[in-house]
Amino acid sequence: MSDRALAANAVFDAEAAQARRRWLTSRIVIYAILVVFAVVYLAPLVVVVLNSFRDLPEINHNGLIAWPRSFSLDYWVQAWSTYCVGGTCAGVQRNFYNSLAMTIPATIISTVLGAMNGYVLSKWKFRGSEFLFTCMLLGVFVPGQLSLMPWAFLLGKLHLANSVYGLILIHCVQGVSFTTLFCRNFYVNIPDDLIKAARIDGAGFWRIFWKVIVPISPPILIVTVIWQFTGIWNEFLFGVIFTSGTQQPITAALVALGAGGLSVHAYNVSSAAVLIGAFPPLLVYFLGGKYFVRGLTQGAIK
Amino acid sequence: MTTPSISPSGTAEAGPSFRERLAAATPFLVLLPSVIATLVYVFLFTAWTVYISLSKSAMFPNATLQGIKPYIDLWANARWNIAYHNLFFYSVLYVLGAMGIGLMLAILIDQRVRAESVWRTIFLYPLAVSFVVTGAVWGWLYSPDTGIQMLVRSLGWTNFNFALTASKNTAIYAIVITGIWQSSGFAMALFLAGLRAVDPDIIKAAQIDGAGPWRTYIKVVLPTIAPIFLAVIVVLLQFAIKTFDLVVALTAGGPGLATTFPALYVYDMMFQRGQIAQGAAAAIMILAALAVVLVPYAIYLVWRRRREMRNV
Amino acid sequence: MKSAAMAGIGLLTVALLMGAAQAAPKTNLLSQWDSGSDAAAIAKLGDMFKAAGGEWQSTSIAGHTANTLAKLNADAIAGNPPPAVQLKGPEIKEWNETGQTADLTDLATKEGWDKVVAPELLPVMKPTGTWVAVPMNIHRINWTWASSKAMKQLGLTEMPKTWAEFNADCDKAVAAKLVCVAHLSQDWTDATTMENIVYGMDIDLDRKAFVEGDVDALKSPGMIKAFDQLRLMVSKYMDPGIAGRDYDTASNMMAQGKALFFIMGDWEIGTLNAAGYKYGLDNDYICGQSPTDWGKPGFILNSDSVVLFKQSDADYAAGGQLLAHLIMSKDFQAIFNKAKGSIPARLDVPVAADAGWNPCQVQSQKDLEASISAGTLVRSMAHNMTVLQKFRGAMMDTITQFVNSPNMTSEQAANTMSDAVAAQQ
Repeated sequence: MSDRALAANAVFDAEAAQARRRWLTSRIVIYAILVVFAVVYLAPLVVVVLNSFRDLPEINHNGLIAWPRSFSLDYWVQAWSTYCVGGTCAGVQRNFYNSLAMTIPATIISTVLGAMNGYVLSKWKFRGSEFLFTCMLLGVFVPGQLSLMPWAFLLGKLHLANSVYGLILIHCVQGVSFTTLFCRNFYVNIPDDLIKAARIDGAGFWRIFWKVIVPISPPILIVTVIWQFTGIWNEFLFGVIFTSGTQQPITAALVALGAGGLSVHAYNVSSAAVLIGAFPPLLVYFLGGKYFVRGLTQGAIK
Repeated sequence: MTTPSISPSGTAEAGPSFRERLAAATPFLVLLPSVIATLVYVFLFTAWTVYISLSKSAMFPNATLQGIKPYIDLWANARWNIAYHNLFFYSVLYVLGAMGIGLMLAILIDQRVRAESVWRTIFLYPLAVSFVVTGAVWGWLYSPDTGIQMLVRSLGWTNFNFALTASKNTAIYAIVITGIWQSSGFAMALFLAGLRAVDPDIIKAAQIDGAGPWRTYIKVVLPTIAPIFLAVIVVLLQFAIKTFDLVVALTAGGPGLATTFPALYVYDMMFQRGQIAQGAAAAIMILAALAVVLVPYAIYLVWRRRREMRNV
Repeated sequence: MKSAAMAGIGLLTVALLMGAAQAAPKTNLLSQWDSGSDAAAIAKLGDMFKAAGGEWQSTSIAGHTANTLAKLNADAIAGNPPPAVQLKGPEIKEWNETGQTADLTDLATKEGWDKVVAPELLPVMKPTGTWVAVPMNIHRINWTWASSKAMKQLGLTEMPKTWAEFNADCDKAVAAKLVCVAHLSQDWTDATTMENIVYGMDIDLDRKAFVEGDVDALKSPGMIKAFDQLRLMVSKYMDPGIAGRDYDTASNMMAQGKALFFIMGDWEIGTLNAAGYKYGLDNDYICGQSPTDWGKPGFILNSDSVVLFKQSDADYAAGGQLLAHLIMSKDFQAIFNKAKGSIPARLDVPVAADAGWNPCQVQSQKDLEASISAGTLVRSMAHNMTVLQKFRGAMMDTITQFVNSPNMTSEQAANTMSDAVAAQQ
């Protein structure tokens, strides 16, 4: 090969090498940042998991953030069946089922309502519908402390106080603002032509809903379900104020984790209780995470 | 109702039948229950709260009015002033921080990294955890005697400082950091979705024009996903306004009064201190703080729509 | 022995109820005792209620008292007040004024409560002269706990009697590189420490300022001196980590000898017992009355009590009477208080070491009687037994701010506290 060709090749190789080095460096930087953040994000979870297996004297001696020097599965059993929550010492299982009984219906109802509302507000606009949408949107901002007493009054009048139905009502009303927001912004991206074509074929309001809207809704419905399930499951204030004794949801058991002590603090059992309580939302996020992003890809946000 | 219904036969009927009127009214009727519920929940409850804030309610709601004294007492209270200031301070840092970190993580993950679903799950899971638990566990991490600070110091870095909750000057930052930890995953998910939806042709065009990766992002990609910023801000803002469980679990409003927040103040006044009127006044002021953000935005929306209609 | 007692109570109760309508007593006790030894103690009450033929339910809400009070408020607004609620101090009076509380006069007269309950408690339980609430216990607030290990290390053999002695002991501790006062900074713990100081320095000042809420007393020179003492303790005798520390850690600091003193009420006994520490100069800890400058036995009193609310359902109404009767029974008072570290609210229940009571509890009852005789018994502001919550909140806010703001002077604190209380009037 000629000298010049060799030189050109060398330069080309050098450039390629430099480009590859740059690519490699950027890869390393990207992964390094991700790893550091991942450690920070995972740290609290790791701590709680470890603490749920440690003996209490060992925790008191070595502190809450320490590598475990004891191990026992007892505390999980205790958390499920003997932990004192809300006045009885029968573990969190009752509270777990109470939370399910409250969260599942409220999630389903508010999701269905949100889908229907979103459909109306994006495809069947009428005079004043935008204004109504804005009004409904304000619902996401109302703090619970403000609405506590009015809800108490209302539930009293409806004879729903201290019952799971009262809580379902509260969470539906408070959740419909979010679900309507998500669904409406998603449906806005469905081409109007699809709707027009269906109408020409003679389909009415409900037909179009079932045949056109619902089939393409799964991504946004999953987003809504995840959001509602997590929000309702983790809600503490109303769950505890509007129930009694054995009806309390699982969040009642979580407060004891941080509660400042005039009595002895079983960090290990309460850590296990916390993990039991966090399990359903974590599962929902784990399974639905991919749909969460996908659902939002198709424009839940506009 | 402006959407006309076409009857099955294809011809316009002489006058709308009951069935057709019902069909035309269906969208409105479907929306109605939610609208009524929201009107009650937002407007009626707020109106009740305004009434109570002007009443003599102490430990129990009392219908006798007494004027704006609760508001005067409210603003004369040092703790309230600290709380109100904390709300604005925290909201700005929290919203910007969560958005910033969420955006950064989304951009990183968008770089075709391996095991994307793993990264995504790791950053998203904190949202599944209750604020109560987050506050309690981060309280352990921040503890000067038994937390991260002790751990790192025992490994040799004796000047490492992580006990943010121990000093009244740094405690608010502990809340900010913990809040960002909880919510930035959601911002990341939204941004990631948006980044995925960007038309690859636009990016190619920019690259052909010679823009480097940074330039492409700032000039081309981010403006395309501008609507997402809005959705993120709405969600983060409503979390910020409602800040309660996190603070109670993490610092209980302390040290001293350093991390007290309006929602805590409302709750304490209403139920602990038997001063419902002042608590209601504080709740109204929280909504007023919100108006500071929402009203300019509403005006902007109207202005933008007017401009669009003019340009059509 | 216990089951015989319960059977006896059962019989007595049946006899009591025979006269009343045929109602199956039911109740639901709303309280904040949801975990650990508290929950166990309430469970015992439940056992006794069930043994007496009643249907027992209890709703305990964790976290701050505000949660329990919020639920009470919500239920009352809904028109459905809970049958029995843990309430104390001025709240008893306030709820009584809403007219929703049940009347216990008959029961009280029949069982002669006026004669056996500590006199300082009577105006709290009978805000308008008739019995409305029943006290479950008496807690002593003016205890100082000392680490036996640290005492030995410093060559001390007895608890300091005056604040001057306290400071001298602390200087020795600091010189030996120990923390003198273990502390965790929260509004109630800071207020507890301050209350101990004010009471110990000038009992009349404590009465005027913290029991009556007099605004002049709150900014008097005596109060400024008390803040000086608090400032000295926070800056020199406590360690920098008081904010964000939890109760157990602070207690362990004292019990393990890292700190010399811990100023805390008698529920500390429950914590120490559960962690396996033993009383005695040769063991882990000893207790002593918090320093007083006026040399007599003193007692700052706190009492948990239950208020019964009017119920439309006859079963719940009967349950309320049964519950009140059980709470005031000698057996419940003994069982309940032994584990918690407090002493019975009835003066005629014997508290003796050979019956399983902790030596500090035995001392507590002796000091209670002595304090009554000496006229030095006061109720606790820090634990919500004196002024209305709005005044108490104003005081506690100032005190905890003072503790956490090194730049706040004693004079500023006293004036701020006085102004804050005046603003609430």
